[in-house]
Amino acid sequence: MSTVPTLARSYEALRPKVLQRLLELRSTLDPSLGRLDDPTARAQIGAVLDHLGNFIATGDLGLHRAFLHTFLAMRAAEAQSPASVLAMLVAIGDTAAQVAQEEGAGTADGAELTLLLTRVTASTARGVNDLIAEELGRRIGQRSELTQRSREGKR
Amino acid sequence: MTQQGAIRIAGDSHVGKVRKTNEDALLVEPRLGLYAVLDGMGGANAGDVASQLARETIRDFVLHRRMTLAPPALLEAALVAGSTAVFTQAQQHRERHGMGTTVVACLVVDPKHVVVAHVGDSRAYLLRDGRLQAVTRDHTIVEELVERGLLAADGAERHPYKHVLSRNLGAKAEPRVDVLELALRPGDRMLLCSDGLYGYASAEAIQYLLGSGDAPAHVARDLIELALRGGGGDNVSAIVIEAPDAAPSSTQVVRTSGALAWWQSRQRFVQVAGDTGLTRNPIVRGLLPQEALDLVALSLCQAIYHDLEKSTGVNVWTFAQNLAAGWFERGGDWKAVRGIIDILGGSARAVVDDIRGRDAQLGFLLDVAVSRALIVVELALGGLLAERLRQVDTDLIELHGTALDTTEHETLEMLELPDLHELHELHEVAGDRPSEPTRPSARFLDRPTIPFLRPDRPITSSGESAEVLNAIGETITIARGRLSPRAELAGQILSALETVATDNGGNFAAAVQSARELYGARSVDNAGVMPLYDAFDKARLLVASSVHQLRAPPAIRVRVLRSLSTAHQRLVGAATGLVVEAVAPFSERLREVQAVTGGLHDAVAKAERLRADLERRFATIVDPSLPWGARGTTEW
Repeated sequence: MSTVPTLARSYEALRPKVLQRLLELRSTLDPSLGRLDDPTARAQIGAVLDHLGNFIATGDLGLHRAFLHTFLAMRAAEAQSPASVLAMLVAIGDTAAQVAQEEGAGTADGAELTLLLTRVTASTARGVNDLIAEELGRRIGQRSELTQRSREGKR
Repeated sequence: MTQQGAIRIAGDSHVGKVRKTNEDALLVEPRLGLYAVLDGMGGANAGDVASQLARETIRDFVLHRRMTLAPPALLEAALVAGSTAVFTQAQQHRERHGMGTTVVACLVVDPKHVVVAHVGDSRAYLLRDGRLQAVTRDHTIVEELVERGLLAADGAERHPYKHVLSRNLGAKAEPRVDVLELALRPGDRMLLCSDGLYGYASAEAIQYLLGSGDAPAHVARDLIELALRGGGGDNVSAIVIEAPDAAPSSTQVVRTSGALAWWQSRQRFVQVAGDTGLTRNPIVRGLLPQEALDLVALSLCQAIYHDLEKSTGVNVWTFAQNLAAGWFERGGDWKAVRGIIDILGGSARAVVDDIRGRDAQLGFLLDVAVSRALIVVELALGGLLAERLRQVDTDLIELHGTALDTTEHETLEMLELPDLHELHELHEVAGDRPSEPTRPSARFLDRPTIPFLRPDRPITSSGESAEVLNAIGETITIARGRLSPRAELAGQILSALETVATDNGGNFAAAVQSARELYGARSVDNAGVMPLYDAFDKARLLVASSVHQLRAPPAIRVRVLRSLSTAHQRLVGAATGLVVEAVAPFSERLREVQAVTGGLHDAVAKAERLRADLERRFATIVDPSLPWGARGTTEW
């Protein structure tokens, strides 16, 4: 069985190909990626791929959550809905796994990296949903408070 | 479905939903390795005559000449023979004049080598590694124009001659035939089809069905169904040719033995879900434990099974959406959804681990496939959460708007009612009466009806008494106390208001100076000026409401209000002057740009007129004697 550093190195070696594939396919993978110009798309996808590498190497869930939080906030500032951010992150992870599967076909390393990237994508999707749910909870709280105030004001 | 050695072939045709006759014809001859789709055209039932005549001629030609010609030459000559037959018959029978047919034909030389030939707009596609690519280029006037560089590719879709053919079998005795050879790879799929398919179904949907892994007969049937659902406005025909696989792909393994192994483990899935607390989750409260396990755990297990079988995610998506949407509608929280999904995810992993223990390779493939199914669950939940977030945001915007209106309304009431009352009192003291009541909408105006100060009060150089100056200071202090610590800009504006209102000079200079300090920190082209004006407005409301909290006689409060509103007007005026000054160079530049774009607009209009004129002339050149519908069959 491959160790984490081995898989992290395999991923690093694969990253340029993943980036290239994502840039080629970005409009078919996710509309929000398709709408971006080339340098912006490269920067956004590159940031996610960098982070995936860090997460594979460290397995640090806290860091992962912090990255997702920042990424969601930044995309929200660019008026991207959380659902499209989620779809984009999943598309990136899924493509990385597909490239790993194609490039490492028939090798144990390739198989393990494919599985690892798929699981990382699942973990990403889970983390994003938890963050959206937290934000939703906060805003529902605000809504209740404002509704209450509004009722009191009417009285 | 038929088979030619290891190659599997299936074809299907349908009249469609609009036409009364099917003018398409299929040629499926496994013993010759010959497959073709033909799409006839021409009035008075001549279309089907043309397509069937061409089909028979092509088949006979290949049957009799296959030993004498090389495959590419054989197929090309066969199509020419088909055209000659149609052309000759059209000449001999007046009622069939103008009939013709398109054709796309494929000659399978061996499992790795095919020849494709075509005339007209029936197409051949190749699906390789899951991606669909067109093998043929339509013989239409528009495509020819694009190829010759006379028309941009992006203009082709909107072109009036988009569907007008430049070549077909029957228009000439010997038409030009496009021929190409292809090397097939294991797992490749070819599709031959008429325009009734690709005209009513998207390339993405065709790619999806062709890559589904279903048997060619099912794919052909599904493709026809797809076109019918898309409108079925034309006859629709499809032939699917599948090259043999070198070895079963991982997708096939998952779809067959993987799905089966998963379904055989359903009891284990349900048992793990029960053991890890699914029946205690709030979502299934009120259900008997077995009911809960059947309704939730078994349903997801079944959904995953069906998705593994079909390589889709639709069943899992539907399950997750139904589960969470139902719970949210009942007012449920996210925690319960997360809890139940984690339990189900844990059960899925336990099953995969079991299978992995028995068969490492199959277990690995299932692990990836089931992990993907769990991603689909998260995507479905994410969609629901995002939609709820959007709804709550909409409510919040509405509520904020209402709250602001209420605050403003309350402030006005606080301001205006005592204001009128106090003014009357003060006028009585001064022996004067206002000529007309003050209008409620005239807030923050420097009203001429404000009474004179009594001469026994000391006058400062700002024109205000020490009492009023103190009261201004107190008002600003109260206002600051009511301000959020984060509203830094509004705080700065309050300070500026105090400075301007208590200015010794009593002129506009203090306002300009303060405005420069406020405005200097930001520029028009990055932060924008709206936050500044929002803060001005906020400060105005705060000051107005703070004046009424002053412990001072009404006359003093009116005086304070007057001073601060004058200061506010001066400050806003000075800030506006700075903004105008800052944008002046940009305005000049804008005017220059407008002049340039005006010129460009004229040039574009002129070019458009020229293009329209050329199109009209071109239309005349094509064949002015024929009606529009008949031009499609004209050789060009």
